[in-house]
Amino acid sequence: MKIAVLVKQVPSPESPLPLVSNEDWLDESQVAYIMNESDNYALEEALQIREKNNDGEVVVVSLGPDRTQKVIREALSKGADRGIHIQSKDKYPTDPLLAGSLFAETLKEENFDIIFSGLQSDDLGYGQTGIILGELLGMSTATLAMSTEIINNKIKVKRELEAGYFQWVTMSLPASISVQSGCNTPRYPSLKGIMGAKKKEIHVVTPSVKDQNQSIKKIYAPSSAKETVMIEGSVDQVVEKLVTVFRNEIKIA
Amino acid sequence: MDILVVLEDNNGTIHRMGIESVAAAQHISNTLGLSTGALVMGKNTNSLLSEASEYDLDEVLFINNELLNEYSSDGYAEAVKQVIDQENPTYVLFGHSYQVRDYVPRVSAKLMRPFLADSISIHVDEKEVSLTKQMFNAKLFTDISPHGDTPFLISFQSASFLSDDAVQGNAKTREVSISLDSSMIKSESEEPFKESSGGVDLSAAELIVSVGRGIGKEENIPMVQDLAEALGAEISSSRPVVDSGWLPPSHQVGSSGQAVSPKMYLALGISGAIQHVVGMKASKNIVVINKDPEAPIFEIADYGVVGDLLEIIPKLTEAIQSK
Amino acid sequence: MHDIYFSFAEKIVLGLGIITCLASFIYEVSRRLLIVFKGLGTLPFDRFGARFWRMFREVFLHEKVVKGRFWPGLMHAFVFWGFVIFGLVTIDHFAKGFGFSLLSPNAHKVYTMIVTPFSILVIVGILSLAYRRFITKPKALGKLSPTSGLVAFFIVVLMVTYLIGEREISAFFWKINWWIHSAIILAFLFLIPRSKHLHLVLAPINIFFRPFDQPDHTPVNIDLEGSEEELDDMLAGLTKMTQNQALDIFSCVECGRCVDVCPANRGGGILDPKHHFILDLREPLLDTKDVDVLSQINVEAGWECTTCQACTEVCPVGNHVEKSDEIRRLEVLVEGKVPQEYQKLFTNLQETGNTEGATNSPLAERLPKFTQDKEYVLWLGCFARYELDPEFTKSVENFTKILDVANVTYGILEQEHCSGDPVNRLGDKLTYSMLREHNMEQLSEAKKVVTLCPHCALNLEKEYSKYDTITYTVEHHTQVIEQLITDERIKVNKTANGKITYHDPCNLSRMLDEVDAPRTAINAASDNFIELPESGKNTLCCGAGGGLWWKKETTGRTHLVRAEQVVESEADTVITGCNFCYGMMNQGLKPLTPEGRNEIKVKDLADLVAENISQ
Repeated sequence: MKIAVLVKQVPSPESPLPLVSNEDWLDESQVAYIMNESDNYALEEALQIREKNNDGEVVVVSLGPDRTQKVIREALSKGADRGIHIQSKDKYPTDPLLAGSLFAETLKEENFDIIFSGLQSDDLGYGQTGIILGELLGMSTATLAMSTEIINNKIKVKRELEAGYFQWVTMSLPASISVQSGCNTPRYPSLKGIMGAKKKEIHVVTPSVKDQNQSIKKIYAPSSAKETVMIEGSVDQVVEKLVTVFRNEIKIA
Repeated sequence: MDILVVLEDNNGTIHRMGIESVAAAQHISNTLGLSTGALVMGKNTNSLLSEASEYDLDEVLFINNELLNEYSSDGYAEAVKQVIDQENPTYVLFGHSYQVRDYVPRVSAKLMRPFLADSISIHVDEKEVSLTKQMFNAKLFTDISPHGDTPFLISFQSASFLSDDAVQGNAKTREVSISLDSSMIKSESEEPFKESSGGVDLSAAELIVSVGRGIGKEENIPMVQDLAEALGAEISSSRPVVDSGWLPPSHQVGSSGQAVSPKMYLALGISGAIQHVVGMKASKNIVVINKDPEAPIFEIADYGVVGDLLEIIPKLTEAIQSK
Repeated sequence: MHDIYFSFAEKIVLGLGIITCLASFIYEVSRRLLIVFKGLGTLPFDRFGARFWRMFREVFLHEKVVKGRFWPGLMHAFVFWGFVIFGLVTIDHFAKGFGFSLLSPNAHKVYTMIVTPFSILVIVGILSLAYRRFITKPKALGKLSPTSGLVAFFIVVLMVTYLIGEREISAFFWKINWWIHSAIILAFLFLIPRSKHLHLVLAPINIFFRPFDQPDHTPVNIDLEGSEEELDDMLAGLTKMTQNQALDIFSCVECGRCVDVCPANRGGGILDPKHHFILDLREPLLDTKDVDVLSQINVEAGWECTTCQACTEVCPVGNHVEKSDEIRRLEVLVEGKVPQEYQKLFTNLQETGNTEGATNSPLAERLPKFTQDKEYVLWLGCFARYELDPEFTKSVENFTKILDVANVTYGILEQEHCSGDPVNRLGDKLTYSMLREHNMEQLSEAKKVVTLCPHCALNLEKEYSKYDTITYTVEHHTQVIEQLITDERIKVNKTANGKITYHDPCNLSRMLDEVDAPRTAINAASDNFIELPESGKNTLCCGAGGGLWWKKETTGRTHLVRAEQVVESEADTVITGCNFCYGMMNQGLKPLTPEGRNEIKVKDLADLVAENISQ
């Protein structure tokens, strides 16, 4: 079974996010990068399927600038077999439609049985790339997957629905599945994995130059338009003021 | 039509986010004088159609095709793509629901047109359209413009527009047909199920007292329940509280729980992560008590208290009970 | 009794009995020792004098046995001293069976006068212990042990038969009595090595060889440039016990003191050091006849350990009980199975050199930077640098205030990375080596280092020395403060208010062996100092050690047990000497303080001294 895992390098949640002066993107020199959180779970899902079936190949693919190779190497140290780095020269992360197209162009010939991706990236947060790629390669797709199972050459996916509902969907392979954080317990690279990753191949691809489908005009910190009324004082004073607000302003109790 | 709103079925009625998209369409239409339409499909087409036609739209389209009776991403993506090919709208609007996240990226790929998902506001004038989207877990906002030819696919985050703002009216209805082959549907779905028994329909609640990780431990939950009882409110929580097993999942508010819009939402010890906020920001009055003055939830609060929950809650309960 | 006649047949039987049981004894002891010698490393003979003196105190004076549990300890002391005294008696007893006596009749009379009261003490001792074990049934002793019952019975019978044997009775009964006594001794020889009573033989030896430093774990040297074979060899070695560890397993007397003092166990966790760290490994050692057994340690229990070394400190037979280091390093380095909350911690340390993944520290920016002309490097540690408890920042500033008053020069290292304590204790030795190498370089110009964090101090000094030679000395801030007080470079006034108590941090009291310095300073500031139960080297860990500060899902109450004791002490203020203890007390005390009581103030020693110092 050939499985691909799409991973993305994104700013860490603890990283500062300073903007460049003309405010169209971040000052990346100040940013700390890590592997996108839900991609960790996608990788783990792929590795577990490979282990359960006792065979197959897990290929990790990433689109981004040179620094992206770090997260590819990380995935290799956790057990992926080889990596593909699609170089991006874009100033900011590629929009999902273009990203999906670039992935499709590069991975077409590989004929993957399953492509796993994380639900959405912690930078742009669109949550589309895996599905778009699936469509372009003619695969079945599903997102918000909480659990997957391979049965009889099909894949069964537990989709998360709204209001606490779930649904199992069986779909034919090949399939591109975007998984939700929490769907498994990601492993940590073992020492052997870390050392061995150095010898694994990362194939660098320079894709055809294409324009993005959208542009970021401005990036800025949100202003709180809402005027929050802060209630202060000792515990007793606060309680009294709250009760007054409930009664007179919100008109309840 | 210029603006097509794709509506979603919520067990026979229109999904609330669809109504919000109607409000969005009407807003854009008013600004630019564009024509508006909606699309319904699936096994409850008839009831959705009659509900949709009571809104101020130019027309409501419907598809009767049994291959669309059950949702599948294969079927719905293809159907919507074909309708867009036929109708040639400039903007296609969706609510950013779980279902939309599942199939609309495929429409984007089929049409090779960008899908500006999870937008919180739209700015249109004759020259260009730009959408505002949150990035980096809502720490930053971006204004984004799509390139190239229309149509542009756009989905709006829950409560970016208010369903209350959707204007009523009288819309014409028109059937549209699409060609679908059963071989194009490569999946089979089972019945949806809930993992825990005993649900609470928070979406209908007038008053909600919601508890987050700031409550500290399971032993402190009863004091929150006492306060809710004193107020005559329902109890809800953020995801970490449910994950820790302190409350059943049916109480969860947020993107993977219920969406609520009560008259008052009292948030206790909730930090305000985006996944939670999207579920409750449509609340009319948001009152926040949290010991961290930097908690993001204060951004959307109408009233805020920086203080110790364990001290305030029991006294608040007592004060309400005594009066 | 005058000499009784033993027939030739009897002598043969006796001879055969002795030979068989002695052979069995030697066989069982040897096969265990052979396993011990398969262990890695060697048994230490360094500091011979100190080792011998310690062994004398702990074995002959029964120091730890009595200290941990006074009355049972004393009763055991009776049995032990009786056992020692009886040595000559026993040899003489068997000699009689072969027809001669070691002692002349006069010597015998004197000896009997000495031994008889001991035999009474032994009976009193063993019966009290049996009562405790079988009637009171304390939990620490675990399941009822038939061998213990048998041994108690044997000892009583031995003493009784001895006493009878000294009386004038008919030859017939005297002989029967003699044979009973002999049979029991031979049975003892058979039983001892097969049970926990092997501690009779091994405990003195094990105590002699016990490491002086705690914790004592083999350093894990990782050579990232090495070959795959070298890596495989190193990893294979991680599952093997050292000689000292294997000796521990066979010396364990199953008393359960380690369980009693374990904060994880007291907090309701599953960790039971007696079983998880020691006894569970006994069968694997014996079955495989080899020391490759560390992977058998219970993983879940291993993650609960706070690495506080209370178990090691209290063990009366000299065991280094704690083995969380051994199992965690296997889980991390070999298996890649790391609990989720720790994965984030490890990644933060790798990416940014600190536990929080932060990129700047307002505190570090405010403080003076180290230059060669300054006396001390003030090592901050991640807790202070990144404000894991924002109130502790004041404590750091109070310490700098004290240094300023005393005109002591200091500066911080701008490129200070985490000392590595969390990853060292959690098993990620690779990240630890990265941090260590970076810090060693930063400290290359330093001569003296002072820090408020005992975890940092312990790593910078003792742990780093296991890998490289260090060129600096490390002091804990309480030690510097004490020195400034004794040297009269600062004057502390007895103006502190209220009842003050002190919580000994486990890293400071046990591992850095510092108990007095904070007390000197507290007593300089206050006359109203009360000790907590389990203080000094027997301190009960606050629950944050071993990386557990970062463990998000806290099941159990490990982190609250000590806080409860502080509340019960009714002190107005609790002083700590460690930022983690400070943070834990800050979090734990409020919810536990009963209605109506004032909140107990939490202060670092630097706060107390700075508040009462003469400018």
